[in-house]
Amino acid sequence: MLDYLVSLLTYAALYGIMALALNLVWGMGGMINLGLVGFYAVGAYVSALATIKLGVPIAVGACAALVLAAALGSVVALATLRLRGDYLAIVTLGFAEVVRIVASNEIWLTNGTDGISNIRGPLRGAVTPETFNLIYLTLMVVAVAAVVFLLQRLARAPFGRVLRAIRDDDQVAAVAGKPVLAFKVKAFAASAGILGLAGSLYAHYTSYVAPDSFQPLLTIYVVLALVAGGRGNNYGAVLGAVLVVAFTESTRFLSEVVPGLQAVQVAALRQLVVSVGLLAILRYRPGGILPERIRPVAIPPRRPA
Amino acid sequence: MQEIAQLLINGVVSGTILAVPAIGLTAIYAVLRFPNFSIASHATVGAFAGYIANATLALPAPAAVLVGFGAAGLVGVASDQLALRPLRPSGALTSAIASVALMIALENLLRFGFGNDLRGFDLPIMRDWRLGGLRVGPQQLENLGMAIVSMAALFLFLSFTRTGKAMRAVADNPALADVKGIDPEQMARLASFIGMGLAGAGGVLLGLDTSIDPLTGFRAILSIFAAAVVGGLGSIPGAVVGALTVGIAEELSLIAIAPAYRTAVGFGAILIVLTVRPRGLLGERAY
Amino acid sequence: MGLLSVEGLIAGYSAADEILKGVSLTVEVGEIVAILGPNGAGKSTLLKAVAGLVKPKRGSVSFAGERIDGRAPREVSALGLAFVPQEQNVFPRLSVLENLEIGGYADPAAARRRIPTLLQRFPMLAEKRRQAARTLSGGQRQVLAMAMALMVEPQLLLLDEPSAGLSPIAAERLFETIQAINADGVAIVMVEQNALEALAIARRSYILVDGRNSRSGPSAELGADPEVRRLFLGG
Repeated sequence: MLDYLVSLLTYAALYGIMALALNLVWGMGGMINLGLVGFYAVGAYVSALATIKLGVPIAVGACAALVLAAALGSVVALATLRLRGDYLAIVTLGFAEVVRIVASNEIWLTNGTDGISNIRGPLRGAVTPETFNLIYLTLMVVAVAAVVFLLQRLARAPFGRVLRAIRDDDQVAAVAGKPVLAFKVKAFAASAGILGLAGSLYAHYTSYVAPDSFQPLLTIYVVLALVAGGRGNNYGAVLGAVLVVAFTESTRFLSEVVPGLQAVQVAALRQLVVSVGLLAILRYRPGGILPERIRPVAIPPRRPA
Repeated sequence: MQEIAQLLINGVVSGTILAVPAIGLTAIYAVLRFPNFSIASHATVGAFAGYIANATLALPAPAAVLVGFGAAGLVGVASDQLALRPLRPSGALTSAIASVALMIALENLLRFGFGNDLRGFDLPIMRDWRLGGLRVGPQQLENLGMAIVSMAALFLFLSFTRTGKAMRAVADNPALADVKGIDPEQMARLASFIGMGLAGAGGVLLGLDTSIDPLTGFRAILSIFAAAVVGGLGSIPGAVVGALTVGIAEELSLIAIAPAYRTAVGFGAILIVLTVRPRGLLGERAY
Repeated sequence: MGLLSVEGLIAGYSAADEILKGVSLTVEVGEIVAILGPNGAGKSTLLKAVAGLVKPKRGSVSFAGERIDGRAPREVSALGLAFVPQEQNVFPRLSVLENLEIGGYADPAAARRRIPTLLQRFPMLAEKRRQAARTLSGGQRQVLAMAMALMVEPQLLLLDEPSAGLSPIAAERLFETIQAINADGVAIVMVEQNALEALAIARRSYILVDGRNSRSGPSAELGADPEVRRLFLGG
């Protein structure tokens, strides 16, 4: 039971970090990134490959993941940030799909659909699995706290204020002399880097990555987490992630209540619950449970973002 | 040289079939003004409906396509009214995000009901025809024919019926259309029915050649979007041109890159078009 | 009681806005009435409020004896009061003929009867009937927009700056067309920046300043008034 909870909380922490990354780019920056899972995957693979093929310590792998994902993020940003919101949605979604296709096909690099296994974890093997999980959870909590702290600082700093100004009306910000594109690229890259770091944490936790772990559904999980928790609010992002994990786990109990469900049906039910959940929240509580504190951010924003 | 000719033929056929769901996507965009990602799942809905018609009622391919159109069209109206219409005031981006959630929901409803197994249509096996060294499959030709017939039917509807003209009017200038007495919600329902219906027909056409499973539509999503974007989102002739372009490009790409990267071609096309000429080849949003 | 009667109209685009601060006017059957004034005076807002596109906050609008303030544009149009906006007043990708058909969308049977009459009335449109509306020149587009409004056989036509953006020759031709439409018996209320031309064809005119009535009266009088000449006609 404890182990189960530890596992749940670890996943909540992972989604929390991703939701925080989304908050940076969407909540504060007004740029939608439906390709979250692509940067997450890149981070996971980079860290896995670095630690296995190059034999570097996990910490180095994690840094590499962050840096490479951020670099990729800048490239994607430069190519797409002049696009309207819904066009950006199309392109970022496509990007994640391409990452998945590359991961499935470049067998020499990623081992294709078989995935990479036996990824090292800190102290894994030296302690019991339960202890490892507890240690990892502690690591995750520290990571979440660090990211929240950083983003809160960023939000209060001039960078954060400019970003929000750009989100609300980038023409006004441009007229005020702010280099809009540079800000947007930096924000997008930073967000991608955080996603890459999350990917690395995922890889070393589960010890196995494969293209199938990175479905668009994961993006929906994260979007749901952020919207439920309150877009624009960092604490909300983390709270939302916990809610999403709890919500989706409830389907596990559903399958125990309803007899005769096959595994594929349980999986389908879980995905159904999450997607319908997002639709419901967008409809009934678009502001989330904890709206942005500085000023209420209701969806719709004043301008379609 | 012969290889290229064969690829071109394959490209024209696959492009024409791709045009059917691409028109659906672009028609919905023209009237409702947002990219509806759930087009992928509605294609799958149509594919399964057509499959059921074929497997249980032994209906031939053209009938299966019609059933796919009707089923997907009805689901399209229902899903729009239930899930997306309440969010319209929130803007295009929120609608787009919601449509991704809707796509996943529909896909999993199908998965819940049918599982992940691949299913094939029950059709007479026909040998490929050979014309001067080039191969063409009769089923391919039949699919091509059905795609052309669907597009012709749509063209006639839009050009010559009062309702069709009203839909074009709404796509052209929604504010003026409202003032002149065209009911925007009725047009939204119609656009959803036709758009998603075409997606469903496209799903059947895609599945006739190979097989179907809950991910049939999703696999084609980048190609469908690429076709619509290249042609210009909102332009129906554009979707046809775009689909042919993407279809041929995907086939020709086999010369240089691995088959699995076909859809990456679509993504590349989207990126290039949106960066260089966002309105696409034939699109122009006047109002 | 005139055909159109506006009294004490107060209106704006949002709850806080008050662009019209109490405007009154009347239009008799078969008249051409011009509404002039500086930019921002509320002339377009006045037309939109009458047409039902802007909901008045106070005051009344009566048409043929019935109160129409607050009604939807479609209803107002059905009663015989058609509005031609200044911009985006045609369907650019539809043909001229299709534009007219949509103009008469509310009553297709009547539309079928009406179209030949209008095509006869406006030979230029007949000539171009299969062409897309966006291929028309500015002046031709204005004529098409007016013809679309005429599809509902209105008693009163509201025109919002019909000559805006047109060359002097095109504008002159347009004013001739407006007079011809009026000669058919349709009353016209015309907001215009081109005060000279407007005063020439309108029997009566109103001047709006800052959301309120300023001067009004027979156009000839207003045109001769030195104050008006100074403000609007360049002395």
